[in-house]
Amino acid sequence: MKFEKKRASTKQEIPTASMPDIIFMLLLFFMVTTTLREVEVFVNYSLPEAKAIEKIENRRLISYIWVGQDSRIQINDSLVKMEEIQGIMYAKRQSLPNVIVSLRIDKNTDMGYVTDIQQELRKAFCLRINYSANIKI
Amino acid sequence: MIKKKKLPEATIPTSSMADIAFLLLIFFLVATVIDVDSGIGMTLPEFIEDVETVEVPKDRMAALLINETGDVLLDGQPISLFQITATLKPRIQSKIDLPKNKKLIVSLKTDRRTVYNAYIQALDQVKEAFFEVRDEYSNSKFGQKFNDLDETSQNEVKEAVPIIISIAEPEKIK
Repeated sequence: MKFEKKRASTKQEIPTASMPDIIFMLLLFFMVTTTLREVEVFVNYSLPEAKAIEKIENRRLISYIWVGQDSRIQINDSLVKMEEIQGIMYAKRQSLPNVIVSLRIDKNTDMGYVTDIQQELRKAFCLRINYSANIKI
Repeated sequence: MIKKKKLPEATIPTSSMADIAFLLLIFFLVATVIDVDSGIGMTLPEFIEDVETVEVPKDRMAALLINETGDVLLDGQPISLFQITATLKPRIQSKIDLPKNKKLIVSLKTDRRTVYNAYIQALDQVKEAFFEVRDEYSNSKFGQKFNDLDETSQNEVKEAVPIIISIAEPEKIK
């Protein structure tokens, strides 16, 4: 009598047919969440730290102003002078009425300088601002 | 009768699909920057040429003054930066039940030479005080933290504890 080894009749393969679908799902997720960096930042800055931080819900409303360690101001992708802020921001506000201005200011800047920028923003009617800060742990 | 030639089955090879998708996936993984914009939100007052001054009763005001070395003065009393939250909290809480025009106003004033970081630290402390009072108030009233409330109750809490911070213009060079 011959003994035959019993073999499992099921296939021992992982079904890979749905793999592309899974990958595409992941891909779509990342494509949707990605925001490619639009502007190159020329100024060097390190943000202050704070605890009572709120997240800005609507990304599309944000417009940035950078102020670097050497007190240079950048809006969009160009360095601007203090006197130019009002005109630029006023134009921005006209195209986007409830713009939020995110101020990315280096932590060693003088307050007088910050206030001057704020005055310019007030003149341009950009009243919603946000002092960008990192979370203090 | 002529038999039709059997056409070979036309298929697109899909075995490489996963690889293509993987490549794309890796590209987007690398290119993604999930940096959430976070910071301290404020609303600036409108720009008016000649400002008419309104007298505010003293007990309604908490005047914070930060000088260029980073020392803090609260209503004329020197105070450490980290005590601001603890000092302001009871003052905010005592005004929860008062009508809208009697809530606490925090006025933040700096010197022109004050470092921005010191200003943000102080502003952070003030905001922290307001947030903590809001949380405690909503906890006692709704049994939930402020952020977990629905919109109508959130507005109710906001009404009871409004965040009023006035950024005073810094003094001209002395």
